[in-house]
Amino acid sequence: MSDEMTDAQKEAFVAKLRRQVGNTGTAATARDPVNQPMIRHWCDAMEDANPLYVNPHSADAGPHGEIVAPPAMLNAWTMIGLVPRVNDPEDPASGVYAMLDEAGYVGVVATNSEHVYHRYLKLGDHLTGVVKLVDVSEEKQTALGIGHFVTTETEYHDQHGDHVGSMFFRILKFRPGTGRTASSSDSDSAAERSPRPRPSRNQDTDFFWQGSRAGELRIQQCLKCERLQHPPGTRCPACGATEMGYTTASGKGTLYSFVVAHHPRVPSFDYPLNIGLVELEEGVRLVTNITDCGSDQLKVGMPLEAWHMQTHEDVSLPVFRPARMPRNPTTLTFDEVSVGDEIPLCPIPLTPTLIVSTAIASRDYQEVHHDRDMAIKKGSEDIFMNILTSSGLSARYIGDWAGPGAVFKNLKIRLGAPNYPYDCMTMSGSVTAKREADGEAIAEISFRGQNSRGPHVSGTVDLALPRA
Amino acid sequence: MTLKYAYHTAIAGIGATPFTKDSGRTPMDQAVEACLAACEDAGLPPEKVNGMVTYSAEQNPEIEVARNLGISELTHFSMVHHGGGAACGVIAVACQAIYSGAADYVLCYRAFNERSWHRFGAGVQDRPAGAEAVEVSFSWSSPFGLVTPASWVAMFATRYMHEFGATTEDFGRVSVVDRAFAATNPYAHFFQRPITLEDHQNSRWIVEPLRLLDCCQETDGAQALLVTTAERAKDLKQTPAVIASAAQGVAEDQHMMRSYYRDNITGIPEMGLCARQLYQTSGLSADDIQTAIIYDHFTPLVLPQLEEFGFCGRGEAKDFIRDGHLEREGRLPINTNGGQLGEAYIHGLNGIAEGVRQIRGTSVNQIDNVENVLATAGTAVPTSALILSQPR
Repeated sequence: MSDEMTDAQKEAFVAKLRRQVGNTGTAATARDPVNQPMIRHWCDAMEDANPLYVNPHSADAGPHGEIVAPPAMLNAWTMIGLVPRVNDPEDPASGVYAMLDEAGYVGVVATNSEHVYHRYLKLGDHLTGVVKLVDVSEEKQTALGIGHFVTTETEYHDQHGDHVGSMFFRILKFRPGTGRTASSSDSDSAAERSPRPRPSRNQDTDFFWQGSRAGELRIQQCLKCERLQHPPGTRCPACGATEMGYTTASGKGTLYSFVVAHHPRVPSFDYPLNIGLVELEEGVRLVTNITDCGSDQLKVGMPLEAWHMQTHEDVSLPVFRPARMPRNPTTLTFDEVSVGDEIPLCPIPLTPTLIVSTAIASRDYQEVHHDRDMAIKKGSEDIFMNILTSSGLSARYIGDWAGPGAVFKNLKIRLGAPNYPYDCMTMSGSVTAKREADGEAIAEISFRGQNSRGPHVSGTVDLALPRA
Repeated sequence: MTLKYAYHTAIAGIGATPFTKDSGRTPMDQAVEACLAACEDAGLPPEKVNGMVTYSAEQNPEIEVARNLGISELTHFSMVHHGGGAACGVIAVACQAIYSGAADYVLCYRAFNERSWHRFGAGVQDRPAGAEAVEVSFSWSSPFGLVTPASWVAMFATRYMHEFGATTEDFGRVSVVDRAFAATNPYAHFFQRPITLEDHQNSRWIVEPLRLLDCCQETDGAQALLVTTAERAKDLKQTPAVIASAAQGVAEDQHMMRSYYRDNITGIPEMGLCARQLYQTSGLSADDIQTAIIYDHFTPLVLPQLEEFGFCGRGEAKDFIRDGHLEREGRLPINTNGGQLGEAYIHGLNGIAEGVRQIRGTSVNQIDNVENVLATAGTAVPTSALILSQPR
């Protein structure tokens, strides 16, 4: 219907959408107080192992003196949940969403979330949020489609009326099918792409490819002297034995050398193409691809982990991505952190389970995050990660690096390319500033999460770190 | 081990076609022209030739070339494996044939339309799968997109940079040297077109850390060399370039361009093996070499070659190069024809011809008082090298 709108009608429509800008809605009180089960669900789904969120013993000794909720859960507490949605006609934001739905702008994606935390929430805190409609944009052409950005600000108070935090939030409501690229074109070109060169194999090397197809990285081993060798041979050059078997490697290794191919371009590959020479922890090397890592992020010596990429019906290739950054069990002090410090890369494989379980754990029951048919109907290629999870995973990444006692003062993110299933998002970050503020030692962190389509999330965090 | 043919043979004639990007002729036509030119240079009627040696990737079988040359009988003919790595290997095999008495006059040649026909730099992306060992060997790299010669070399380069602190500028300095010599060589593709280090750094990536200006010319053209005994050479037209020694080398855990599995991949042990043989059998050392043709299909592997031949210590080639030692007035001017980056990429044979000219004193970039010239062959593959000397 909006297709046929004249400029004058559009203007009138925007004016109608903006009628309530500046108004606040009614206070919405969380259905439940801050509680351990919801925290546990969140931590499980986000794979956030910070003990201060779940372990009373650790929490007692921590900076808060008791169990606290992950700060990124701020707006999860007041999410409406899976109940029949009744739009409150008095609520300015809900009213705008309803008008946009009626006008055909049924697609929805969140684009910005900025949390400010005045204090961490403790078990039993009971939150109330008040939403203010801040802005409705003109109609805009975006990559996803033609739509309007709607911006709100929510203030959160506890049961005592104390101000505990706030959220600046922006979503795009768009008309499905009006994006710059038809949603099917990407998958079509992938299907037409010529397959990678097929590995040649014979009786001497078959075990390797059978292993990779089965998800194992098999390295030839002499059955007599147990020496490993790659590429495989017919005989052990060290001891002369002809009985050769294999061992299954752990898949852990480091980058021994690498190249980034630009030209000539072979149609089977995406360029620039990262090709690495990986030294396995077992001691042998192999040529492979380094996936889920920007070309400028490759460094000799970086830790890597194997995964198996299916390239033909009967072929999988062992390839490597940055190893998941280990969680720091102690907390970095302010002095240990310097401006320019880089946070190690951390890949987050985007399984359907991750996308669905995190959406539910954050009480976000929008169909686009768990129902593929509905997601496609609403203009998406597939289900995609919700913004609360993007916040939660960013916080997990920063927290795993800084340690459990680092205190988030805020968390500001902006979303780009959607996180669809079967992709991988690799987090990177660095320390951009250090300062004293209100008696606290603050490190400012800038971070990014990149998937195969581009940056999914970019943002900043202010972390209060202990001085010693 | 001694190479008994040391100082016994000589290169008596050199001949080449023009080096172009699109010859408009068949490689066979060019092979025949280059071979005839080499015979004419030596003052030898071609029908006297009774040996022919070429190397793999050659498109012109020796019997076809021989027929066109009017050669009726061949008593030695052989094909040396491993492409550019055999550039000096063909000379070594010719020496063996001549020293053993299997042949008197041996033509070594390379001819192709490497630019206008099949581009060598395109790599092995179209190789079909198969169960033979050579196909299986590509399985450890091609499915991952490591399919071009530039990419194979680049993997060594990154590690070399990491271990020794060399930079892409050090690679660029090799390119600048080559192009400076090419600029004054009318026969070179890049005649009168020198480059600066800035030009190198601004050239586009081919395979990081290699830029366009780190890569050799793909060329249409042919080069031939005529080898005979040092004695017979004295009776021919030119000053003989005596082959002090010529050697081949394969080292432990050798792979074709991808010997990535050795304990250390910053050296070129097969070139070190050639160096030991050459120095041992010729009685010469690095100090006796005034100029060298260092195989430069891609600049990074020039550095470890300088180290393998003892011109500088391990990991110190970057300093040797930064000090200007490869330049015209330096300790070891290299690739005075412009090299394969500046003149043409005839898989090393055009470089050996330049070595002959340096011995004769006829190079357009003649170095003073040349007694001995080192020439090396393709690196990362099984390789070869030789030293040419003034006649005694």
